[in-house]
Amino acid sequence: MVKFNVDGAQNVEVSRKIPCQKPLAEQLEIMERYTKVHRESAGLSKEIREINCLNVLYPALFREIEEQDKFIGRIDTLPIGFGCVTSLGGVGHYCVFHELRQFQAQLVEESRKERVKALYQYWLEHDLKTIYCRDVLTETTVGRFIDCDYPLIATARLSGMMLDYPKLLSLGIGGLKKLINGHLKEEPENNFYKAALKSLELFIKSAVHLQKMVLNKKEKVSDKRKEELDTIYNSLEKIKNDPPETFHQALQLFWLYAMLAGVINYGRLDDYLGTYLEKDLREGRLSEEEAYGYILSLWTMIENRRTTVNGRVIVGGRGRKNPKAADVFLRIALKVAKNCRYVEPQFTLRVDKNTSEDIWEGALDALEAGATYPTLYNDDVNIPAVKYGMRIDEKTAEQYVPFGCTEFVIQGQSTGTPNVCINILKLFTIFLNGGVDPVDGKVKNGPIKIKSLEEFHTFEALWDNFMELLDYYMDLSINAQMYSYKVMNDQVSFLFSSILTDDCIARGKALLDGGVRFLGGTNEIYGSINTSDALWAIKYLVFQKKKYTLAELHKAALANYEGYEELKKELWKCDKYGNDLETADTMANNLYEYIAKGVRDRGIKAGMQYFLIVISNNQLNTEWGRTTGASLDGRLKGQYMNPANNPQGGANISGPTAMLNSLAKFNPKYHAGSVQNIKFSPEFFRDNRKKILALFKTYFAKGGCHLMVTVVGRGTLEDAVLHPEKYPDLIVRVSGFSAVFVNLEADIQQELISRVLYD
Amino acid sequence: MEQKLEVMEIQKFSVHDGEGIRTTVFLKGCPLRCPWCSNPESQSLKKQVMYTESKCIGCLKCTKACRYNAILAVEGRPVFYRNNCVGCKECARVCPAEAIRISGKTMTVDEIMESVLKDKDYYEATGGGITVSGGEPFTQFEGFLALLKACKEKGLNAAVETTGQVPRKHIAEAEPYIDSFLYDIKHMNAQVLKKTAEGILPEILGNLKYLAEINPDKITIRVPVIPGFNMKEEVINGIYDMALELKIKKVSLLPYHTLGKDKYARLGISYSMQEEKMLEKNDLIPFQRAGLARNLTVTVSE
Repeated sequence: MVKFNVDGAQNVEVSRKIPCQKPLAEQLEIMERYTKVHRESAGLSKEIREINCLNVLYPALFREIEEQDKFIGRIDTLPIGFGCVTSLGGVGHYCVFHELRQFQAQLVEESRKERVKALYQYWLEHDLKTIYCRDVLTETTVGRFIDCDYPLIATARLSGMMLDYPKLLSLGIGGLKKLINGHLKEEPENNFYKAALKSLELFIKSAVHLQKMVLNKKEKVSDKRKEELDTIYNSLEKIKNDPPETFHQALQLFWLYAMLAGVINYGRLDDYLGTYLEKDLREGRLSEEEAYGYILSLWTMIENRRTTVNGRVIVGGRGRKNPKAADVFLRIALKVAKNCRYVEPQFTLRVDKNTSEDIWEGALDALEAGATYPTLYNDDVNIPAVKYGMRIDEKTAEQYVPFGCTEFVIQGQSTGTPNVCINILKLFTIFLNGGVDPVDGKVKNGPIKIKSLEEFHTFEALWDNFMELLDYYMDLSINAQMYSYKVMNDQVSFLFSSILTDDCIARGKALLDGGVRFLGGTNEIYGSINTSDALWAIKYLVFQKKKYTLAELHKAALANYEGYEELKKELWKCDKYGNDLETADTMANNLYEYIAKGVRDRGIKAGMQYFLIVISNNQLNTEWGRTTGASLDGRLKGQYMNPANNPQGGANISGPTAMLNSLAKFNPKYHAGSVQNIKFSPEFFRDNRKKILALFKTYFAKGGCHLMVTVVGRGTLEDAVLHPEKYPDLIVRVSGFSAVFVNLEADIQQELISRVLYD
Repeated sequence: MEQKLEVMEIQKFSVHDGEGIRTTVFLKGCPLRCPWCSNPESQSLKKQVMYTESKCIGCLKCTKACRYNAILAVEGRPVFYRNNCVGCKECARVCPAEAIRISGKTMTVDEIMESVLKDKDYYEATGGGITVSGGEPFTQFEGFLALLKACKEKGLNAAVETTGQVPRKHIAEAEPYIDSFLYDIKHMNAQVLKKTAEGILPEILGNLKYLAEINPDKITIRVPVIPGFNMKEEVINGIYDMALELKIKKVSLLPYHTLGKDKYARLGISYSMQEEKMLEKNDLIPFQRAGLARNLTVTVSE
């Protein structure tokens, strides 16, 4: 067994969580109760154990309603508890050890500290993630999330569940109970059904509890607020059993369920809430202003959960049941996004060539206001891509939804959690160094024999040997992914998620127990563009021009180019991906397809519906870059790596059309999401909206799958001077021409800043 | 096509030089010497060293690399003897600090077309195309004409930015291949223009008149508005009156800016406009109004 630190951070955390509302003593009691129930339920089935534990957490962990909330359901998480994901609480029966220690540090009384210590000891043996890590981690090849010393990191989590809310809304809690009871009659011993029914009882118990909270708030408030609280109270009453009839009831039902399920992405809201909203507006039960208020309140409650890179809300696109009603929701949501400009929800607009001009305009309005949302997904490309990638029919593919950083799942029908990440560039630096990581001197090539650099007489020989190493790591990745499902399934059933995931009820099984219709997963890929640029530089300088030997280049990289500045420059000046050049773009595409197909094939072979790479964009490219040696694309040791499949910062020097042309060359059918960024200064965006819209549409028509558009606010340019790596794609208006900001001379940058700030 | 051109830069996603999304090809060489020119490296046909002194680390590798005695070491710094320079780029290649860059690249018409055609979809979606600018693109007439013909063959909309100071027969020969002219008029007084910018007004106006007689709608008059030179009511109004006379409807005013200032130092020449402040779009509103009052379509660029 490998030693690993259970105390480390588990996730890329960007947002600061809102502290728990309960006093420390009460928090400790809840965690102790949870631990006690967990221990005492050890002999029971995992399903019953789970529901027993959930009954400790809920309704106890609900927070008071806030003044501005139009519906109820805020939840705290503790260092010990139950969850699906690392960005909110933890996974399965979890203990987040570093948070538990922080909790302990806040306590004054020694006796209480001792009580925490006992909990800590218990959970060392029982925390789901720790159990997983014990079996999966190795000395040098597979590390834990997020340990950047390793080329591959693995975790157990159930990210990105998008539940079948349409089913919840059409059946209501009562209807779901009836459905499950019907199955239970057929299989009276089925623990999943028994626990599922108890889960729905817990939902009702929570609704009753929340009604009491609402009543308590009714004193000393304005008449208007009293009315709002009455609405909430009545909606809770309704949804304990019946399907909702109004927008408010539907909103309250979906939200409360999502809270109990612990999911942090919300699916196609316009599709399943739009009909209620449209009906209320049409029949005069709701004014447009009130509707705006409800959606704003939803946005606020999503934001307040602070799930960092999640909180997806998807609108628009093909495959919606009632697109007209859905668009009513969509249009109001665009306004909310424009005005509130929160980091979450990650407001996602699916478009296709039939998207109406007014929706495009609404989207541009929000972007111009600096909302950074909506982020745009192209159905014309993604639906056929998903159909192929996930091996499903087109109707099903229409229900694709991005979660987290961009990974696709099929709403209500699939899992897609990315439980492994691979640093391709780190592997390439290890490969060129005979299997030894140049950063820490550790051997990381597993059983793969790596030839000495002198033995590579052709580029193809080098390529083939490197692919062997990638093959090995892709094998590790599928094993780690599959094992994460096994461990999670051994321990838990994710009851609330399972109830609303096809075909758990029909099969009488929890989702990872054979219940989910499409068992999918994703594999996050980092540094692949640096790697392909480095491969191109080698091919060009060593094998085509024969100007240097591979050993000479490697020696310079090992020295971090100290004393080899000229060579570093020459490497950097070699053709780079992102400039619409056949040379570098073809290399990038070859590497992409090798990895994407390799991962996909392994998933199919392992019995998954799909296992696809995602090329996403968070801060891991920077963090992992810190522990990655100098690379032959001219990148220094420790420097950030390229974001998603965008070019390395400063490498795309041919403007946005060239960059988008490069991006559109990757065939999207081999991946399950790839993030494309483009940034504009406010003046540029405002003055050129028509052309920018044409730019987006043309890029989409050429095969682009996604665009994340940022119109920067005040001060961003200053930050770009200090951290150019964060803004490789920021387009600004100079004067009579436009340019990528970070490529401008320092004095011109300063000139622009002075102008923008006085704008 | 093997016809070669000296190119200063190819700028994609150009949205300010004509309709739609365009690619602007900047060709080297210009007969004028406007002191406010923001692309002074476009004036000479030759490849030119651009040296940024603040980036120089004084390693003097460039002096050793130069085989033409164009760079000598003086007190630990490189000094450039630009007349000796042949534009071989060796100095730029060896410079570890990227303090030296060579402006100018020899490209065939085919190479230019290959680059320009990559964005054809964007042109088609927006009514854009290619803009050939300079310098003065007519300076390299044969290659320029070959480029225009290649564009026509590919169905690309071609705009040309010109000073108008070019032989009439060249204008006449190229005109059928050009969809729109961005035609610079900087002053209406021949002496002032000659003295300030080495411009020959009769030739410029003669060519403009010639083009306007063929089709005035293809022409947009461009006026760089320069304080102390032409930023005067009578000058701008004079340009407007001339436009009306020639039935040209579109005038574009460009506010003076200093963003090309540093390039002068890099080229080893002095910038004679140093004292003037940059103009804002708003500074030109009164001039714009005067044009609008004459029923001209007057725009102010940023």
